[in-house]
Amino acid sequence: MSARAVSAPSVRDALFEAPGPRMRRKIVVGTAVSALLVALGLAVVVRQFYVTGQLDARYWSFFLEWTTWRFLAQGFVGTLEVALTAGAIALVLGLVLMLGRTSGVRPLSAVCRVVTDFFRGVPSLLLIYFFFLVVPQYGVKMPAFWMLTLPVALAAAGVLAEVFRAGVNAVPKGQVEAALSLGLSPARTMFKIVLPQAVRYVIPSLIAQLVVVVKDTTVAYVVSYPDLMQNARVLITSYDALVSMYLVIALIYILINYAINKASVYVAQRTGVKIIR
Amino acid sequence: MSQRTTEGSRSGETPVIELRHVEKHFGDLHVLRDVSLSVHRGEVVVVIGPSGSGKSTMCRAINRLETIDSGEILIEGEPLPQEGRELARMRAELGMVFQQFNLFSHMSVLDNVTLGPRDVLGLSREEAESRAMELLARVGVAEQAHKVPAQLSGGQQQRAAIARSLAMRPKAMMFDEPTSALDPEMINEVLDVMVELARGGMTMVVVTHEMSFARRVADRVVFMADGQIMEEGAPDAFFDHPRTQRARDFLDSIRGH
Repeated sequence: MSARAVSAPSVRDALFEAPGPRMRRKIVVGTAVSALLVALGLAVVVRQFYVTGQLDARYWSFFLEWTTWRFLAQGFVGTLEVALTAGAIALVLGLVLMLGRTSGVRPLSAVCRVVTDFFRGVPSLLLIYFFFLVVPQYGVKMPAFWMLTLPVALAAAGVLAEVFRAGVNAVPKGQVEAALSLGLSPARTMFKIVLPQAVRYVIPSLIAQLVVVVKDTTVAYVVSYPDLMQNARVLITSYDALVSMYLVIALIYILINYAINKASVYVAQRTGVKIIR
Repeated sequence: MSQRTTEGSRSGETPVIELRHVEKHFGDLHVLRDVSLSVHRGEVVVVIGPSGSGKSTMCRAINRLETIDSGEILIEGEPLPQEGRELARMRAELGMVFQQFNLFSHMSVLDNVTLGPRDVLGLSREEAESRAMELLARVGVAEQAHKVPAQLSGGQQQRAAIARSLAMRPKAMMFDEPTSALDPEMINEVLDVMVELARGGMTMVVVTHEMSFARRVADRVVFMADGQIMEEGAPDAFFDHPRTQRARDFLDSIRGH
């Protein structure tokens, strides 16, 4: 059972009562008017593009060349490598920070809390500058990949620690009491009973944070790491095609994040089915 | 104070559960006042009393889901451990059934029942599953074994929860208002399972509002009010001739209609 199957069919159904006849008429009128406005807006945009010459062949023809796509694909792989690595590190580190923070050991809990709040509070770009400009001064040589991946991962870990904690707090206390009363140790109770349920509660927030990770990787240019964004910038300068290139890679980023969303829901559903057998 | 009729007659034997002068506060609230109670092997002790009388707290204190301020809790003569492996082992030997069932919501009913035996007692999967299926059949939910708890009715969930506790082969079972969260038509199916258990000789502490169950099954009724045990005795004696005014008022209030 995914989060979707458990909750109401849609947010609208959950938040509002079913509309009556007068409201339904208003909705029809509102829908028509807003559809008209959107169409009008799009028409204006396309017209502006046409007027300013953005639809000229020279801004689009290089997309027909194989080398363009190969270069973008290399950037895509670069983005994927950073995002997946950073995402994996962030998930593990976030979990560790949360476990430390919720542990009964006071000093450990305090340290984890400070670390969590620090990485959560500092912008990831600032962390990247730190790894790019400050760390090398102390003789630590790092490839561009890690100068990008580590700060992105650390920033996300801070947020994920809090996301996990919210999930753990949402698990009813009775679940813990039942596990303890069977003779399970507190640690096993956490891993077998609390965490599996907590993760299920926070899957939407986890997806949101993984999307943030993907978007954070776009500052790769700071460390000259060849990700999708950086390679697009190279193409923009060589073909002098700003708008068309930005539109295309925006579409690619949307597709990546859509895929993350789909994959997460799929995983959630699969684990759900496994329970029922 | 309390009279200890049943206890006196069996003084030679070590009680399975014994509370000695237990005190507990929730902030300013004095929830347990000098509570002393002995439960012997095979005995069914039903605890009744108005809400807020401390009966749930007492029940939960027996396996340390609630800590106590002072006094002693002994399980078969051994003091209840405070933490760690010893406490976990003691809890494994005491079954606990909750008002809200508390089945693990992300596991099938079968996995709920096999978790303890496999994880704590070290049984193999096959042993644990055959033990679980036998118990689930006994409480009448064998057909639901592969469903998740949310797919079961309240009565079925509570019966599965009882099976989960029984799978640990406990020395005693505590029931903390096991039927209070159930729809009326499901109360009896759970009580029937408990009656069966009592007949089978299980040592039981039952906190409940089901007076007919108390009268029918209890070896001893304990009446609590304001964190104190006001009186205890055989069910017929207690229900027909309560000695304290508090007990008379309580019984009148629930018989009022």
